[in-house]
Formats: sequence, structure tokens, C-alpha cells
Amino acid sequence: MTQVTLKPEDINLNDPEIFERNQAHQVFDYLRNNEPIHWNPEGERNVGYWNITKYEDVMFISRNPELFISSKGITSFYPKDESELDEQMSGNGKMLITMDPPRHVRLRRLVNKGFTPRAVNAMEDHIREITNQVLDDVAKKGRCDFVLDVASQLPLAVICGMMGLEKKDWPYMFELTNKVLGQGDPEYQTDAPEELRGTPEGARIAGQMGTMQMFGFFAQQLQDRKEHRKDDLISLLVDSEVDGQHLTDEDILWFCFLLILAGNETTRNAISGGLLALSEHPDQRQQLQNDMSMLPTAIEEILRWVSPVTHMARVATQDVEIRGTTIKEGQRVVMWYPSVNRDEDIFPNPHTFDITRQPNDHLAFGIGEHFCLGAGFARLELKVMFEELFRRFPDIEKDGEPERLRSTFIGGIKHMPVKFTPEA
Amino acid sequence: MRVFVDPDLCEGHSKCEKSAPAVFEVRDDDLSYVLLDPVPEEHREGVERAVRVCPRGAIAMTEDNE
Ligand code: HEM
Ligand code: SF4
Repeated sequence: MTQVTLKPEDINLNDPEIFERNQAHQVFDYLRNNEPIHWNPEGERNVGYWNITKYEDVMFISRNPELFISSKGITSFYPKDESELDEQMSGNGKMLITMDPPRHVRLRRLVNKGFTPRAVNAMEDHIREITNQVLDDVAKKGRCDFVLDVASQLPLAVICGMMGLEKKDWPYMFELTNKVLGQGDPEYQTDAPEELRGTPEGARIAGQMGTMQMFGFFAQQLQDRKEHRKDDLISLLVDSEVDGQHLTDEDILWFCFLLILAGNETTRNAISGGLLALSEHPDQRQQLQNDMSMLPTAIEEILRWVSPVTHMARVATQDVEIRGTTIKEGQRVVMWYPSVNRDEDIFPNPHTFDITRQPNDHLAFGIGEHFCLGAGFARLELKVMFEELFRRFPDIEKDGEPERLRSTFIGGIKHMPVKFTPEA
Repeated sequence: MRVFVDPDLCEGHSKCEKSAPAVFEVRDDDLSYVLLDPVPEEHREGVERAVRVCPRGAIAMTEDNE
């Protein structure tokens, strides 16, 4: 790993290369120990923001959703010229994840019964069946792209199933998710002219196209559910009311947009990142494969280690002092989960991957008002995947270097070749 | 001390039950119930931990003299 420049005035976490080259932890270690609340300079098009790198500070911000709101966007990027937002079909204020109290909790209550531990556990057999179908497809080959062929397929099938989407549409959902959440990566900028790929303009085009296509697709689904209800989340939303009022079509479309993105990109990266972490720590992997009852703590450690969602942002509604730094009303704070999950004040030996770690109160799913709605599904998908994977392909290993996603928001792996003894 | 769970926020993650099993019980409706009122001092540490780790920030404590 090459050393990165570590002068506070030079640190700029807008630079996706820091993440693509896997150097972010060097920067975060430095910030936590030298400037835990660090002003990130503005860019050509985007405003500056505070980098928040300590666990307690992320707890404080997340637990005070009136002081730190989500409706001004939840990523570090916010354009200086607000008219750019309309152009990009901004969902700020319109989805659970970008909505503030008191409406937030009312909307969340429409769906949260389908995501509680009990509801999730009832799906275990179904999730195991899907997992084995996914593994069947590669079992005889002995090698595959773990991300495309395995890790992405389970979460995609689960969320698409919950939304009542037909199997023929799943690959399209995968493609659109990559365009929206992977918009900064040239691989997904196929809608942009060649000369713009790899530029901020290329990212804008990919994100905008992906969003529009997603809306087009779900508008049709919505129409279909209005005519014929099914036993799925979209139908549930059609019949739901908040404060005696039905949700508007736009409300429902943004809900679908959020669920499909949140449901399939993140868990994919936890599965791939988990296999990668285990491969890089053979002693830990051996211990786990010898005794799979360690899986629950191993999964928490994978979540801490990988932190698949890199950040969430908020905006201060008044001046607030944290650690002697004044966050001014209207300023943005960006909470870096990979950093807080290795905060030495909370986790002893934070850079040690320890599948028995306990307690392990990592914040990979955030905390408080916006705590990940899908955490139960993500945990179960991880559990079933590693159980079946190691049962069927115990010697699966990396067969080349993983390719990381160029993004400051998602700690993603795009491709990871693996090999294993094929099933007869 | 007295302890309350906000049923609008609670989603049954059971972290409270693990931190202070004598105080919290998560029932079939995926909601956590406080079993003791008031909660004896001996459970303070467990309750404080529950307040801290509850993913939804659903638990509140008040002191007896409040
Ligand atoms: C390992 C996988 C996952 C990770 C790391 C993850 C992470 C996160 C994070 C960090 C947040 C924001 C929390 C905050 O602001 O405090 C979030 C919110 C959310 N996640 Fe996940 N997530 C994962 C899987 C899922 C799945 C599988 C689903 C759906 C089935 C899902 C649905 C959501 C939704 C709907 C929200 C918004 C909740 C709200 O604002 O009230 N997530 N997730
Ligand atoms: S930890 Fe919080 S959300 Fe979970 S059951 Fe207890 S009170 Fe409810």
C-alpha cells in the first residue's frame, strides 16, 4: 500500500481514488488521532463539509435527528448551485432515508413489521433455497466472478422477491442499481459518451439515467399493482395511509427506489468483503470453518471490518458544538462508518480482524432514527450464504485481485475471481 | 429509576433484553416491554447499556425523584 499525504489541509475525502485504492483507513486513522472533526474543502461543484470520524460523535449526531437533519441529502456531495438538484431528480425529503421526524417514523411504521426479527426469521428457509439455487449455477464450474455470480445474486433475489418483481426483471434491477450507486465508476457510465467516462459529468449522466429508468420501471409496476394487488411491498404501499391520506404515486416510487438500492448493493458488498476478509486472515477462516457456531460473531466482525456503507451525511439545524468545534447552522456533517468502526476508544485492537470479538457494537447499520431497516435481512442473508458456501465449497479461494468500486459512498467490490473444487 | 420503551420506535431488535434480561422482554409482537416499575438500582448498569446500544434509541430512563 502506498502512503498517502497526511496533512489536514490536503485531506479531501471527495476523492474516490482513496477508496478505490483502499487507502481510506490511513486517512481515517490520522484524522481520528489528529483532527477528529475535520473540515473537508469544497470542490469545484460541491460544498465543503465536516468529516466526523469518532464513534461517540456519530452516535450523538445520529441520535439527534432534529439537530441534524437528513432532508438536505445523505451523501457528502451537495452542489453549490442548488438548481443542479432538480436536474438530478433529487429525492431529498421524499424517501425514508432522506426524511425527518415526525413524518419519518410514520412512514417507517407502514413497512417495519415486515422487517422485524420475527418476520425475517420466517424467511430463513426461503433464503436458504435461493442461496442454493445461486450456488447450483456455479457449482460445476469450479471458478466464477464471486461478485457477479454469487454475492450479488442473493440480496437481489430477496429484495426483488419482496417487491413482487418477476425474475426476468432482476438483471435490469442489478444494472440500474449499479448505475445509480456506482455512478462514479467508469464501468457503469455506459450512458455517457466515451470522452466523458471517468469524469464528474459522466457520473451525473449515469446517475440521472439510472434514476429515470428506475422510475419508468416502477411506474409500470405500480400501475400493475393498482389493477391487481399481489402479496408484496408495492401492493402494501398502494393500500397504506399516513395521517389518513394515501401515499402519492411519487411517494411510492421513491420508496421502491430506496428499497431496491438499499436492499441489493450493500449486502452484496458485505458478502464479497466478508469472503475477502476471511481469505486475508486464514487463521480466522480456519477457526470459523472448524466451528460454524462462531458465525454470528464472525458476521458482526465482517460488518465492522467491511462497513459496506461508507458514510451518511446530515445538516445542522442550529449551531452545535462537538469536541470544541462549532458546527454552524446549515453546515454538512459526514459520518464515516469505516472510521468509527475502528475507533480505538471503543474497539480494542481495532485493526485486528477477530471473529470472536465481543462486545461488537459497530455502527455499520447506523443507529437511531434511520437505523437500517433491512439489518435483519442483511444479517440472515450473510449467515445463510456463509453456511451454504463453506458447506458446499469449503476450499473456495481468491483467484486474482478484487476490483474495487470507485465511490466515496459504497465500499464496494465490483469483481472478484474465485476458484473452488467443482461439485461432481 | 423508571424505564420506558417507545413503541413507535422499538422494532424488536432485542439488544435491551440481552443487556438487562430481568428488565426487558421482547414479546411476540416484536415490541420490548419493561417488566419492572420502578427498576431496582442493581439493574442500572444493564439498563444504561440497553439505552446506549438500542439501535432505535427507543429506551428512556428517569430517576425516581424526577
Ligand atoms: C450489510 C448490508 C447493509 C448495510 C451495511 C446497510 C447500511 C445502512 C445504513 C448505514 C443506513 C443508514 C443508517 C443511519 O443513517 O443511521 C441504512 C438505512 C436503510 N437501509 Fe440498510 N444496509 C444494509 C442492508 C439493507 C437491506 C438488505 C435493506 C432492505 C431490505 C436495507 C434497507 C434500508 C432502508 C430502507 C434504510 C433507510 C431507513 C430509514 O431511513 O429509516 N438495508 N442502511
Ligand atoms: S433494543 Fe430497542 S428496538 Fe430493540 S427491542 Fe429493545 S427497545 Fe426495542
